Amino acid sequence: MDRRTFLAAAGTGSLIATAGCAGDDDDGDDSLSVGMIYSTGGLGDESFNDMAHQGIQEAESDFGISFQNAEPDAPADMDEMQRQFAGDDNIDAVVCIGFDHEADLEANAAEFADTSFVLVDAVVEADNVANYLFREHEGSFQVGYLAGLLTGMEYGHGGGATDPDESTVGFVGGEEIALIERFEAGYIAGAQHADADIETPSSYAGSWNDPTTGQEIASSMYDDGADVVYHAAGGTGGGVFEAAQSAGRYAIGVDDDQSRSAAAFSDVIVASMIKRVDTAVYESVEAIVNDEFEGGQINDLGLEEDGVGAIIGQDFEDDLPAEIVDELEASRQAIIDGDIDVPDTLDDL
Amino acid sequence: MSAGRDRVEATLDRLVDASVLERLQISLAALVFAIIVGAVLVFVSGLIVDCPDPFLSLPGVGGACYNPFEVYWTMITGSFGSLTALGRTLQETTLLLFTGLSVAVAFRAGLFNIGTQGQMILGALGAALTALWLGELVPESLLGALIVIPAGVVVGAVIGGLWGMLPGLMKAYADAHEVITTIMLNFIAMGIAFWLVQNHVGNLESDSVLTHTIPDVAQLSPTIGGTRFSLWALLAALAAAIGIYVLYDRTILGYELRTSGLQEAAAEYGGVNAKRNIVTSMTLSGALGGIAGSIYVLMVQYRWQDGIPPLGFDGIAVSILAGNNPIGVIPAAVLFGAMQSGSVALNLTLGVPPELVEVLRGLIILFIAMPEFFRMIGKRYGYGSDPLATDGGENV
Repeated sequence: MDRRTFLAAAGTGSLIATAGCAGDDDDGDDSLSVGMIYSTGGLGDESFNDMAHQGIQEAESDFGISFQNAEPDAPADMDEMQRQFAGDDNIDAVVCIGFDHEADLEANAAEFADTSFVLVDAVVEADNVANYLFREHEGSFQVGYLAGLLTGMEYGHGGGATDPDESTVGFVGGEEIALIERFEAGYIAGAQHADADIETPSSYAGSWNDPTTGQEIASSMYDDGADVVYHAAGGTGGGVFEAAQSAGRYAIGVDDDQSRSAAAFSDVIVASMIKRVDTAVYESVEAIVNDEFEGGQINDLGLEEDGVGAIIGQDFEDDLPAEIVDELEASRQAIIDGDIDVPDTLDDL
Repeated sequence: MSAGRDRVEATLDRLVDASVLERLQISLAALVFAIIVGAVLVFVSGLIVDCPDPFLSLPGVGGACYNPFEVYWTMITGSFGSLTALGRTLQETTLLLFTGLSVAVAFRAGLFNIGTQGQMILGALGAALTALWLGELVPESLLGALIVIPAGVVVGAVIGGLWGMLPGLMKAYADAHEVITTIMLNFIAMGIAFWLVQNHVGNLESDSVLTHTIPDVAQLSPTIGGTRFSLWALLAALAAAIGIYVLYDRTILGYELRTSGLQEAAAEYGGVNAKRNIVTSMTLSGALGGIAGSIYVLMVQYRWQDGIPPLGFDGIAVSILAGNNPIGVIPAAVLFGAMQSGSVALNLTLGVPPELVEVLRGLIILFIAMPEFFRMIGKRYGYGSDPLATDGGENV
């Protein structure tokens, strides 16, 4: 109740005061306040959105900022939420998580020129928008390579085992869009780097929060002999892990270290393609706090910048054969050095 | 056993015979109950979650994070508390008026159109493409707007109408139940629109599935600054409600439309072409759904994008709440619009998760709609003092 009353008072205050100080970040002793708008996968996806939430929470404890969350039900809500936060005198910066924000932010960044925006996974070219992109294909190559190496050998640990007779690794995507195609292309290229004849079935669930469909797709892939299935499908991926457990095979998580964020499945999550959305959010807030915010820039984060990468699942850290770990480190270095060219579309495979 | 049954029958009789005033009282009482139950629910769920500063600490239980009074107050101020909040409410109201009318029109003819959502999605796409195409050709002036906006609405209505006509034809000539066909056609409509936009008519550079933004001349300019609400659209929606009321209750065609759906054989015997009227009702219903989609594109989103909100499904609840009366749809749409915009404010300012807000909305809908729903069922099975067949689905 206290906070509300204070906010109301502050709001009235700035209404009475002249419009001159609107958008001025350091009026009075008020600390930075950030509006967070997530993607439609929503908080609790143990992946993309939760990573962003983690980043802002770290920023909160390190810099003493405050933040408000908004979770859109559909892309249609994003416009309203952006406008509400941007028009709110108590909000200094708005962080938009996910590519669906792009079209609305293009218009709103121009309309609310005094507000600083951060956009993850898409680019809006405006002076008050800082953009963060990831080279997901590089990280996906790494987990694809791991999957390819695993399916080619006989391996059993935790809640699963590979089928030595089959050489198949699967991919489950959320919606079939260029962004997720980058994951798919990198993953397949990585698997083929291990073994050119490997089978790589892939399928799309058509949604970011439909675990049932995710489970059906993954189950049929495991039935057809897949040893490992990698998902880039947000909340839909939960179904992939379920399927892995009941089939006794392996899965690869995405965005977060899902062997920890979805710890109930840590016995089958052999690795995760980590995408440091948390770092992106944290660093963007840090820049605003230090008055170093640079609108209009595009931060492109790949293996070299530690923006993406393969992280071994917590149950598998000490168990994976050393040669696999060495191979992964070698391919990581080769990608950074430019010796391996990772495709970012299926056409370039 | 039979005493219980008698009680149920007596209650149904009473519900069916309730006068307008009594039904209003029932609805208000239901609203109060829903608010009380919702308050308890909000309070209890606030005990479960963790938050840094609970408004109330209960020894042994923990801190309560959500204050029910604050939650309801935020909902009210979020929907009527400021000019922008009011604009947001009226924006939702306008759209729900059209979808609610769409469902009500079919209901009055005894047809259950679950397909408003699909009709709306295709109508929206038609309007968006029309606006994109015509917007380039017309001058950037009021004249241009007067050409392109009505054109968008008409195209949306025609496409929605045709999509509604399909299940009408299937019902009239192939005896396919409209509930099944309209549900299925929703999926087909979504699939067609998604595929078209993603692969052919949309913005192919974007990762999102969307069309380009329609030009300024095609956008219904907001009446209240900072919102996406146009008074003209609301006036058109109100005119549609009155027009449909007049059509169904004051004209011969309306009478025929009602009887054809309710008592096909009797209508045929009375010299009415019942099959054609079923098709007409569904087409009219679909056209209203299509208009809802057009207005959504021209007034709110300025483009077609995958993930259009479920206004078509909300329209079903709006219509039931209104007892399928076109005039009753107006207050029902206001209530739903207010709850929608209030829940956005709730999510933004108090951090109450959207799922809990949905539960609150659901409770209010459930409590208010249930007596009305039982009344309709009771009426269907001949309870109350006026028998069904003669009233042509009239509720007032």
